[in-house]
Amino acid sequence: MSVTRASPAAPVSPPSAPRLEVSPAARRFPVLLVGGLIIVAVLVVLHVGVGPVYLSPRQVVLALIGHPEIPYQHTIVVELRLPRALIALAAGAMLALAGAILQSIMRNPLAEPEMTGSVAGAILVTVLWVGFGESGVVPAVWYMPLVALAGGVAAGLVVYVLTWRGQSQPGRLILTGLLVSAILRSGASIVLLVHQAAIGSVMLWLIGSLNGRVWSDWGILWPWALPTLLLGLASARWANVLQLGDETAASLGLRVEWARAALLFLAVALAAGAVAIVGGIAFLGLVAPHLARRVTGADARRVFPLSMVIGAGILVGADIVAQVALPGIQLPVGAVVAVLGAPFFLYLLRRRLR
Amino acid sequence: MTTPAARINRLRIAFLMLAGVVGIVVVALAFLMLGPPVVSPHELIAIARGGGSSFNRIVVIQLWLPRLVLGLLAGAMLGLSGTLLQDTMRNPIAGPELLGVTSGATFVVAVITLLHLPVDLTLVPWLALAGGVAAGTLVVLSVGRISDPIRLVLTGAALAALLNAGIFVLISYGNTNDIALLFLFLVGSLANRTWNYVTMVLPWAIVGIPAALLCGRALNLLQLGDDVAGGLGLPVGRVRLLTLTIGAALVAAVVAIAGPISFIALLAPHLARRLLRTSDSRQVLPLSALLGALLLTAADLLARRAFAPLDLPVGVFTTVIGGPILLLLLRRQLGARAAAT
Repeated sequence: MSVTRASPAAPVSPPSAPRLEVSPAARRFPVLLVGGLIIVAVLVVLHVGVGPVYLSPRQVVLALIGHPEIPYQHTIVVELRLPRALIALAAGAMLALAGAILQSIMRNPLAEPEMTGSVAGAILVTVLWVGFGESGVVPAVWYMPLVALAGGVAAGLVVYVLTWRGQSQPGRLILTGLLVSAILRSGASIVLLVHQAAIGSVMLWLIGSLNGRVWSDWGILWPWALPTLLLGLASARWANVLQLGDETAASLGLRVEWARAALLFLAVALAAGAVAIVGGIAFLGLVAPHLARRVTGADARRVFPLSMVIGAGILVGADIVAQVALPGIQLPVGAVVAVLGAPFFLYLLRRRLR
Repeated sequence: MTTPAARINRLRIAFLMLAGVVGIVVVALAFLMLGPPVVSPHELIAIARGGGSSFNRIVVIQLWLPRLVLGLLAGAMLGLSGTLLQDTMRNPIAGPELLGVTSGATFVVAVITLLHLPVDLTLVPWLALAGGVAAGTLVVLSVGRISDPIRLVLTGAALAALLNAGIFVLISYGNTNDIALLFLFLVGSLANRTWNYVTMVLPWAIVGIPAALLCGRALNLLQLGDDVAGGLGLPVGRVRLLTLTIGAALVAAVVAIAGPISFIALLAPHLARRLLRTSDSRQVLPLSALLGALLLTAADLLARRAFAPLDLPVGVFTTVIGGPILLLLLRRQLGARAAAT
């Protein structure tokens, strides 16, 4: 089967192989998924264990199932630390899935939410909202993801329109996205400087932080995360067809522009929801789908769920590092992810852009 | 013997330079007079002669004048640095902020600020230079082909993200006060700079600006490509090292006193080339110095007055205004490049 590829750097291999033959990658997939889930579960137990009072994995599990060794451990685990772990899981999965969707519909291996301007747009609008409110902190209200979404969609559209010429070239899209992001982040800086009281609390949020996240944050995140994640998984079939290239997709009966717009919107929605709660974590949406594709091939039906698992695992793991790396100090998790993700990005660049 | 075309060309250059100087003078006067306190032209002359009300004299001479001088010097240095980097690499978007030079210098200064390292103030530009050169070298080495704009920018962006993450790690150490201070530094600001800062940057400007202006001929040869330049007798490797070092040094000095001010270095050479309708470095260099000074001073005036009484860092304005202009300029250039390959 010969596939005409629109871009030399497009994700390789014909997706959605006929169902009759089961490729090795497809056979490996359930094992990878279950293995990944187990690793993530282990990471969550470790994650809940770290903090000012260290709890052993056994104590954590006992507290989680409702039989803590000492009663206060239940309070620590369930009331203080569990929401942070859950938010890390959900946000990691959302950012990774957003990246996977963007990479497949743009046929661009370097696409990720941060580099398409949508994260910066979400940040700018959120900061504007916060700036004109009273408190000077990102308020924990249910409509914050919607606010972030508006900014993310607007910025994503700007970048898309600026770069779209029949097809999206990997480098140009990212270059434009980076410049637009820089401009929007400067806009956010202006707002912050005008409302200086907000700087201290919002600054860490700009790079992405899980510090001090509580159950009310989770209460905002999950109603947003659940439908978007499910829709994202359901969209894998469309993404597969779009990966074939516009002409092939159209000849298969797909309304290409609509499908692409819908998937783009979904990706931005995923990213905006995560940004509203944890801030602008870069590189996660880039790294997770790449790792997923590396182990399971280009079929979006396998890449999407596996990306989610990997993304959740990376963010939980990075948050453990963020809490224990320097004694007595909680780092913003976005900084840890960037330290790990930037070299990976450089490595990809060397390989992809000859 | 000059042809009429060459004469017209020379007239245009002279006119553009003159316009640049006039523009700078106008902006500079506005900078000094728009206050607060607003000073009339009459009083400004009186202040220049040592008169005027003592309050106004102190404000103009101790607050606005050093800031103006600093803006002019920094703008000219950034404009020159952008030209040096772009022409040496034959890359339209080689700017210090995209090459990692700014990030490296910023990182060093941030480390010194946040950890309260006991470093002599005059040493800071040198350390910033070391950081900038190290980061720039890293980017150039890992890119390999430095004339490919997209690779260069992406590599620079990745390194900048990495260093930025490092800064945030350090921020977690600092108290709220440090964070607010560093935030002002991270966006680049000329606010509250006194004559001390001018004396700090002056040696760098006195050496760097003429040195950069003298590079015109070498840059013209480098633009032809390594083979041609080498064939014409230019020691390509050594010359390139020299021009890049001068470019990095100019940026490092600016970063050390004002923080990372983006897009002036990228934009000024592009505007100069567009206005001159040539890429002859001997003409582009002086005009981009003038344009850089003009742009930065105008942006600083805007930053000071737009949200008065708040005095905002000039860096956010250069990005918000310069970024879109750069996008427009690059759209055509990158489009042509993509069509050619």
